[in-house]
Amino acid sequence: MKAVRGKYFFGGVHPHDEKALSKALPTEIMPLPEVVAISTSQSLGKPAVPVVEKGAEVKCGELIAKADGPISSDVFASICGTVEDIRDEKGVGGATEKFIFIRTNGKKENAFLPPLADPSPEEIVQRIKDAGIVGLGGAGFPTAVKAAPRTPVDTLILNGAECEPYLTCDYRLMLEKTDEIARGARYLAKALKVDKIIIGIEANKPDCIKKFEAYEDILPVILKKKYPMGGEKQLIYVATGRKVGLGKLPADSGVVVQNVATAFAVCEAIEKGKPLIERIITVSGRAVKTPKNVWVRLGTKTESVIEFCGGEIHRPVKAVQGGPMTGVALANYEAYTHKTTSGILLMTEDEAAADEPTPCLNCGKCADVCPMHLMPMNTAFYSAAGDYEAAAKYGNTLACIECGACEYICPAKRPLIQAIRKTKAEMRKLQQGGQKK
Amino acid sequence: MIDNTVVISTPPHVKSKRTTRGIMCDVAIALLPCAIAGIVYFGWQAFVLEITSVLGCIATEFVYYFIAKGGFAKKCKNAGKVCKKWFCQFDMTSVVTGLILALIIPSTTRWYEVLVGSIFSIAIVKMFFGGTGKNLVNPAAAGRVFMFLSFALTTYVAANIGPTMLESELFTGATNLSGLLPKVTEGAASAPYSAMTNLDLFLGTGVAGCIGETCKLAILIGYVYLCVRKVIKWWQPALFIAVFGFVSVLAMGGLFYDGSAVVYKFDIELFLPSVLSGGVLFAAVFMFTDYVTSPKGVWGQLVYYVIGAALLAVLRVLTHLEVASFIILIMNIFVPLIDRFIMRKPFGYIKQKKTKEGK
Repeated sequence: MKAVRGKYFFGGVHPHDEKALSKALPTEIMPLPEVVAISTSQSLGKPAVPVVEKGAEVKCGELIAKADGPISSDVFASICGTVEDIRDEKGVGGATEKFIFIRTNGKKENAFLPPLADPSPEEIVQRIKDAGIVGLGGAGFPTAVKAAPRTPVDTLILNGAECEPYLTCDYRLMLEKTDEIARGARYLAKALKVDKIIIGIEANKPDCIKKFEAYEDILPVILKKKYPMGGEKQLIYVATGRKVGLGKLPADSGVVVQNVATAFAVCEAIEKGKPLIERIITVSGRAVKTPKNVWVRLGTKTESVIEFCGGEIHRPVKAVQGGPMTGVALANYEAYTHKTTSGILLMTEDEAAADEPTPCLNCGKCADVCPMHLMPMNTAFYSAAGDYEAAAKYGNTLACIECGACEYICPAKRPLIQAIRKTKAEMRKLQQGGQKK
Repeated sequence: MIDNTVVISTPPHVKSKRTTRGIMCDVAIALLPCAIAGIVYFGWQAFVLEITSVLGCIATEFVYYFIAKGGFAKKCKNAGKVCKKWFCQFDMTSVVTGLILALIIPSTTRWYEVLVGSIFSIAIVKMFFGGTGKNLVNPAAAGRVFMFLSFALTTYVAANIGPTMLESELFTGATNLSGLLPKVTEGAASAPYSAMTNLDLFLGTGVAGCIGETCKLAILIGYVYLCVRKVIKWWQPALFIAVFGFVSVLAMGGLFYDGSAVVYKFDIELFLPSVLSGGVLFAAVFMFTDYVTSPKGVWGQLVYYVIGAALLAVLRVLTHLEVASFIILIMNIFVPLIDRFIMRKPFGYIKQKKTKEGK
């Protein structure tokens, strides 16, 4: 369908997008790694429970850990080989996670699920669940749960905004796998029983918009280039004009949002029976020799991905897993890739912000750019004083989506996100304490 | 391979290049036209006052930094290091304060008076409260008020106050039944201030007043610069001026008896002279918009500007004095209250009351 322009939302920032580093590079498939370490905590919920023993032979695509609870997801072997070890290690976020180490045996045997032809909605949901698909945009919420909402919905929105600077993985995917994404979107729409499919794409990707205009059943919405345009609530508002209430799910407003990479994974899972074992990762930043968009198997060590991209040419000041606005800073290259790892960035001193914070000026810029219309400076002020309840009250911290726009714009370089996360954690503790009483 | 010099922090890992120092440099640049206009109109005295004030502010901040925290003797020993450290954290706020302070006093002020005022501004109003970002009231406004009360800057009231001074003439001779309601006198409103045209007031030619406040053109140049650099929001001074103009026009009007009924009459032609006279424009562009002492949220700022402007207009008509800096101090004191009670509704906010009643 002919593309339409999206609505305007207040707030947001315009970081230098740096996508030119890796935008024009076609995706490459990384050679299979020797060892993979697959975390069992690949989604928002509880970690999956390992179902393989140490020393077991596994094939590529075989189930190695079973989901535990509704918002947990299955985990699959991403290469063929032997289970070398199952042990606890520090994950990227700093929390201890259970990792399953698999050493390759050189074979290339696949143990995929049987492909489905013309599946029913229930079959689609079941297959999404069986393939361990989670939201690949970054949050890692199991797609199967989203694909079977409790309230009826009327619109499916595909998120192709990719508003994070540097990242081009969704852009490359939309260019190279347009048809698969469209088919995946149709499967998702069928599962949701909706006939309206919208794809939101930022205006800096006109070629993607053009490609999706060719499909009669998909409506591309041109989004203004702005961060965080790809935030779920912002995207829903811009694309449909509906607001998602605080503490409500998008489904309550009749909308389900899925990332384009998720739609692609759904298509693969249904047509090829392939579980979620690989994804595109953008390796970028000015400290990397050759930035690339790479298909990487789950659980590959960061070090080998960087080696595949030619290693460092400058000394990085920051190594980031994910996008520069919401990603996690790595202490070393030991970290393993995750279902939600969208990028690996090595940033030089010029790019990465490592300034000392100066006193807050009360300029209010953080509140001006907040897409959720919060008051981050109040959160920072009260949490520094240790009064987390006041911080949550005057800053409305619990509604924060942690997009990082406030800290980006702050002229005093205050660590606002840190204060917000601290406040959220303390409030969670307080609420749990209150429940126990 | 990565070594231990890598920085680990919470996201975002990219930040804007804007810093506090950069913003304050922008403000200082925006003040330059006013400073130059002041020198052009008032000669070398204005230049001396500006330099004294800026240097006084910087020196006060440095001295305070030097003696305030950590042993004085220890700092004396490695004074070089301390100076370097001070320079690293120096954020230009005292330069801005010094410049503003010099621009809102008359050129007849003596240099030592300015020096005392700048020391008061920085040491007592800013540093005692915790330095940059922590001061309760605008340091420059407080410094000016301090000088006004201590040295009696009486010359200030002279001529640059515009039509508010003349309003008594407007009503003299008008008699009516009870003596409470003056009669409409045709043409009386515009006659007294015809000596000074709006253009004169705008350019500051032949107008007595404060160094930086006389040339409104220079202030407007600074205003445009600040808006282009996105230091202030364009609507803030505009709203202030609009509200101020209308309220002062209304306040200068009055109830008249036109023979058959009591009517409220006002002269809209008074709008421009009242806006262009005195230091209102300067205060609106450079002083009310001060980050530290204005509300954080947009709704709070709206309230702040509207109340501030209305209060200033009314008080100016009542006192026949330029009371902008007093109003700034008064409004500054209410800022924490405004911030506390005018809360912002988050995106997707659901009204709480309805659900409670439903229960």
